[in-house]
Amino acid sequence: MNADERDEHTRLLPHPVVPPLTPDRHRQLKEFMMTEIRNEARPTGWRRLRPAVVVPALAAAAAAAVAVPLLLGGTAAHAVAEQADGTFRITINEANDPKGLQEELREAGLNAVVDYVPQGKRCSPQPRSTGYLPNEEADLVSIATDGNEPAYIVDPSVVKPGQTAVLEFNVTTAGENTMASVFGRVSTGPVAECELVDSDEAPLGPLPTG
Amino acid sequence: MSLRARIRDGDPSAFEELFDAYAGSVYGYAFRHCADRTEAEDITSMTFLEVWRLRGRIDPDGGSLRPWLLGIAVNVARNTRRAARRYQDALARMPREDRVPDFADDVAGRIDDAERIAAVRRAYAALRRPEQEVLALVLWSGLDYAETAEALGVPVGTVKSRLSRARGKLEKLAAHREPAAPSRQERGDRDTAVRSAKEACR
Repeated sequence: MNADERDEHTRLLPHPVVPPLTPDRHRQLKEFMMTEIRNEARPTGWRRLRPAVVVPALAAAAAAAVAVPLLLGGTAAHAVAEQADGTFRITINEANDPKGLQEELREAGLNAVVDYVPQGKRCSPQPRSTGYLPNEEADLVSIATDGNEPAYIVDPSVVKPGQTAVLEFNVTTAGENTMASVFGRVSTGPVAECELVDSDEAPLGPLPTG
Repeated sequence: MSLRARIRDGDPSAFEELFDAYAGSVYGYAFRHCADRTEAEDITSMTFLEVWRLRGRIDPDGGSLRPWLLGIAVNVARNTRRAARRYQDALARMPREDRVPDFADDVAGRIDDAERIAAVRRAYAALRRPEQEVLALVLWSGLDYAETAEALGVPVGTVKSRLSRARGKLEKLAAHREPAAPSRQERGDRDTAVRSAKEACR
């Protein structure tokens, strides 16, 4: 907007008078804000209190997918930490770098294929492998239950030589809850590339049969 | 490290700098939207609490955080009730100021002030919310088109078209405005202005 246009608009709608935020009040409000955010920064803050609600849209895929609240904050899109028992602890901040996560897992010695499936999409074809091991036989992914921040635990020991860990991630926002969900299975055979296609089904993994 | 990167990393002193720099801007936007000091302070506090909650979304590279911050203020002002539910505990802890609730006592000491405020509120209230938001950001908060587009998460073309629609409506209003006698405007208009202003927040 140039100066003339701005003047013209100002003529039509003058600036309302705003009673100033006095320096005293500014200071009071600032002290209040600083106390609030410092309290939040403590471990008893919002993260621990935030309930892990599984959104209804994921119910159809519940057999295949597990979900944790998406963590907003931190600097990396995701983080992979090797734990003492040999499992990987994965936290997801943004599901926008699946191939980066895939590389990190491969560098850590896990032959993984990682894809991100946005809401309203599915991988095609599904199932992407004719040789998925049942969860009871190869329990690849679980949710961390140690009371720290929400995370997935991936167990590389269930993936034998020649096999592939297939991970599909999805992020859903329902109201104020943002959830990251994952489908994780071990494939004994070749794994098809994920081509994203439109879908109104649950986004992750093969559709439940029967 | 930039202010953006420091806030993203959760540095409280960076947050303090942000509050010092922009609390006035956010409060100004909120007050112009609501014409109520207490509401405006609530919106300001909730906006900064949202900034802290959403800090992980800040791109460490970029210019001023003001458009992003005002965008959050717009959202909070748009959904005051939802934000107030999220932050009800915090708002309960917020220090309150003792003062007369009618802001007009402070700023409308003269009749022409009251008339001017009432006229602005009437014109503003005649616009649709998307038009109000664009006008408030461009005209009163001084954002340019690109910054307004960033704040509202819409294309620049949408900002321009909303502004042009708003202008058309305001011109129509101005053309139809009857030159009312000042003595008749004073009392009733001020009441109306305050009432409709509060409704704009809800």
